Amino acid sequence: MDILFSSLAAGVLFGMTLGLVALGLTIIFGVMDIINFAHGEFLMIGMYTGLLTAQATGVDPLFTLPVAAVVGFLLGVACYMGFIKYLLRGPMIAQLLGTFGLMLFLRNLALLIFGANDRAVHYGILVGKSFDIGMGIIIPATKLATAGLSLVAFAAVWLLMNRTKIGKALTATALNPQGARYMGIPTERMNALAWGIGGASVTIAGALIVNFWSVNPYIGLLFTMLAFAIVALGGFGSVPGAFFAGIVVGLITEIPGFWDFMTYTFDVDWMADVPMTSFKYMWVYVAYFVIMVVRPRGLFGWKH
Amino acid sequence: MEALKNALDFSDFPRLDLVIASAVGILFVCFPLFPHSAFSMATMIQFFIFSLYGMGWNTIGGYGGQVDLGKAQYVGIGAYTTAVMLIRWDIPFWFSMPIGVILSVTWSFIIGYPLFRLRGHYFAIATIATSLVLKDLFEVWDFVGAARGLEISPIKYAPPDFLRLIFREDIYYYYVIFCFFLIGILYMNWFRKSRLGFQLRAIKDNEDVAQSLGINVHWAKIKTYAIATAFVSVVGSFHACYIKNIEPEDTMSLNLSILIALMAMLGGAGSLWGPIIGAGVLIPLKSYLKEWLGASAGLVGIDLILYAIIIMIISAAEPRGIWGLVEKVRRRKLN
Repeated sequence: MDILFSSLAAGVLFGMTLGLVALGLTIIFGVMDIINFAHGEFLMIGMYTGLLTAQATGVDPLFTLPVAAVVGFLLGVACYMGFIKYLLRGPMIAQLLGTFGLMLFLRNLALLIFGANDRAVHYGILVGKSFDIGMGIIIPATKLATAGLSLVAFAAVWLLMNRTKIGKALTATALNPQGARYMGIPTERMNALAWGIGGASVTIAGALIVNFWSVNPYIGLLFTMLAFAIVALGGFGSVPGAFFAGIVVGLITEIPGFWDFMTYTFDVDWMADVPMTSFKYMWVYVAYFVIMVVRPRGLFGWKH
Repeated sequence: MEALKNALDFSDFPRLDLVIASAVGILFVCFPLFPHSAFSMATMIQFFIFSLYGMGWNTIGGYGGQVDLGKAQYVGIGAYTTAVMLIRWDIPFWFSMPIGVILSVTWSFIIGYPLFRLRGHYFAIATIATSLVLKDLFEVWDFVGAARGLEISPIKYAPPDFLRLIFREDIYYYYVIFCFFLIGILYMNWFRKSRLGFQLRAIKDNEDVAQSLGINVHWAKIKTYAIATAFVSVVGSFHACYIKNIEPEDTMSLNLSILIALMAMLGGAGSLWGPIIGAGVLIPLKSYLKEWLGASAGLVGIDLILYAIIIMIISAAEPRGIWGLVEKVRRRKLN
């Protein structure tokens, strides 16, 4: 029973963070139909920003979020203005490969600057502490704080998209760019803003994740793929979809824990021999493939 | 007979193209006879390997317009079939290669059937997922060496072994892959004028219209996907014999899938010469950048930074590739 509950808790908490990682991707896709391969690299930059700011100024890593958000916003806008704008004129294949080029560029730039070593946060008010809430559930304080802050960030983005004029303008740009332009919406600036918000939300997620995950220049790809899976599951362009799909994917990454639970509960020998931890992310990709084929719109998707 | 005549018929190209192509062809035949370094030889073999990958991708991605980012899984299936059969049961290349093709094509039908219900972006990212699932499986499967991969030790055999394709000198590999390359060009030349080739171009232009004209769109795509798969799988088998050390990371990774698509796009997708030009530019660029900047200068990653900048500039400035540029210049001359 212990394993079951702690796996559930860990899955939900990690899932909320993953949802925040995918949020930027879903906004960018929703507004301009472009798939950003460099998304995980933005996350990596967010992780480095959080880590280095904390080390340079001595503040707790949890309070570096504003810096990460500013860096992410500027990075997103710069990428759009300097590169993506020109990419949008070309066919889809050029867009895909162009963002792949951006990913290679950012990753190797980080490799050149920071080196290939793993770096991690070793101090901070929350690092190493945990709560025992009974029934065998032990929750690390960093993960709890991360999940809570990710909830706040989600709420902020949801309000921005649904309750402000800017959000309406973004939605209009997503639905019909030409029509939006006729209505006097500066679509070019809206696209840049979408990249800015997307970049900021993912670097915030990075600065949160660095509290419990060590960072190296190659970490991006795993998160890019997880984010793709979440966006596919939740629906391309859907903000609440990203949140719920994030939790689902978080639970899927805990399948090894559930497997262990089943093995102990039913005491089946062959189940113990399956190297389930090696398949940790494979189930995410399987779920992603099945969702893409069965319901390409995703669970909450509104674009087709 | 008709098919062979079609494959050998290059008459719809301008004479200048054919003169250049045959001059380059003669250069390729003579290349090993001139003094050359081992490095340039390895680069040339890589060039042939990747232009064949690119040609395979070009059938479905270039002519058909279906952006496929999962080609590496078939490289992996081909390479692993050949390596496993050679190591475990001593089955030579020429027998294991067709078996690898059969396995790859079967797998391509299994996943192609659901995949081709999707269009555009949705198709592109779903192909990535299948490739990643297969890679994760191979990384834990002990029978194929798990994450360590497999190693073909050449000591057991007596090179030059033409049946098993085990050689000590690269020159043999060079001519074997060069033959594959020529066959590949002839096949592609037949393909682009075949019924399926025309159907695909119709699908690329407008799927709904193609459907209403009586083309079985779904089946045409699956067939072409199988052809592309067979191409890639054959070269994957060759890759296993040539490299002799295969791992999931370098035969099935996303990077390889994207590199394959990049070859074709850079040269010009949907043209006969596109993938060859793309590989001819990109492969030497990549390996020489690495040789000059990566290892010797002590700056890790700077070669890949330059390479990434080149990719970014091309995809933003000339998305139809080098061949697109050539055609643009030609059209301007005509007018």
